[in-house]
Amino acid sequence: MATLEKLNSKMVAAQINHGEQVFARKGAMLSYTGEVNFIPSTTGGASIGGFVGRIVAGENVPLMIAQGQGNVLFGHGGYQVKIIQLDGANSLTVEADKLLIYDGSLTAGTQFLAQGGGVRALAQGQMTGQGLCTTVLSGVGNAVVMSHGPVFEIPIGGGEVAVDPQAYIGHVGAVDVKLDMNVSWRDAVGKGSGEAFQLKMTGNGTVYVQASERKIK
Amino acid sequence: MPTFRLNGTRLLEVDIAGESFRALNGSMVAYTGQVQFKKQGATAGGGGLFGAAKRKLSGESVSLMDCTGQGTVYIANEAQEINLIELAGETLFVEASNLVALSSGVQTEVKFNGLRGMTTGQGLATTAASGNGTLAITTDGPAIVLEVAPGQPLCVDPQAYVAHKGQLQQDFIQDVNWRTAIGQGSGESFQLRFQGQGIVYIQPAERQGGIDL
Repeated sequence: MATLEKLNSKMVAAQINHGEQVFARKGAMLSYTGEVNFIPSTTGGASIGGFVGRIVAGENVPLMIAQGQGNVLFGHGGYQVKIIQLDGANSLTVEADKLLIYDGSLTAGTQFLAQGGGVRALAQGQMTGQGLCTTVLSGVGNAVVMSHGPVFEIPIGGGEVAVDPQAYIGHVGAVDVKLDMNVSWRDAVGKGSGEAFQLKMTGNGTVYVQASERKIK
Repeated sequence: MPTFRLNGTRLLEVDIAGESFRALNGSMVAYTGQVQFKKQGATAGGGGLFGAAKRKLSGESVSLMDCTGQGTVYIANEAQEINLIELAGETLFVEASNLVALSSGVQTEVKFNGLRGMTTGQGLATTAASGNGTLAITTDGPAIVLEVAPGQPLCVDPQAYVAHKGQLQQDFIQDVNWRTAIGQGSGESFQLRFQGQGIVYIQPAERQGGIDL
């Protein structure tokens, strides 16, 4: 398992040893020392089925694999970073465009966020601009997410937590996610409150939210 | 009355129990409990139809929504810093683009600035908020709070100006000369001058727009 260290609010350093791999957003390497290779990865560590899922889901943010022996600095677009540790018990569901790097020891997959999945979920994803198909990381290891402004953690447990799809980064734990559409005639005539779509979350876990509705490119 | 609370510097948490408050349209990032969001009508900013027409004309149209219900609402805008200002019967003048949330005891009204707004990118008008309650304003970077005392006028860059309150007279200074005309100006050809007694809030960033001098 590669050792990650947060250098400041926007940069993270990964110490990679022989036999270890780190998946990273393509082009997110800032500098490195030692002997490290960067190989483009199409599947992001997922199986062929997962790869097809990524394409269909529009989750195909290009990834690369960093391997070898050395210390690599990662950062992207001046966005803030947060290290999330996974202990194997809970998986992390995260938007692909908000994922900076993750440990090769984690297993990646794609999941439809919206209930029901299928064409309806895709249509919903188009409308909210969120994609609604997310990457799921499970196993033991670290993942680093990016956000515009700092990341806020909102605990889920008991009551329902609603999150703006544009501010949603990801969540950890046994959480049920449902897309709620609250579209009225007001939205149709352009007089909506801008809060027509919400992700309703119930269960037990934590949701990560950014203090902005900006999409990370 | 709703409780306004800051979580860090860029996220505002508002607890409501049956009451309502107003927030910038689309600024909700998350909420718990049962909360409804409804955009305010054109006349909701005060002043009836005349007020609506004024806002339309001046471009000082803060698009606000009513948040009603029971729970906690998380408000944020473009990861900008949020500052809470308590009003106790006073009037705060604030740029509409910097207003993010206000509690129910605060009324807003559009005040004209005259021509100076057009040249500075500050807008033709400014918003006057008055009453009793809490106001949340955003600043690009941490807000700088400057005090103005009698005999010590303060000049600020209109593009950095955010808000002011107190007994202040405001005027507009121009320092346009032949250098400005040939594009060799210092970039500081217009200033807002405040005199009297009060507080001026500015941000450590200059918003874009207007005539670049």
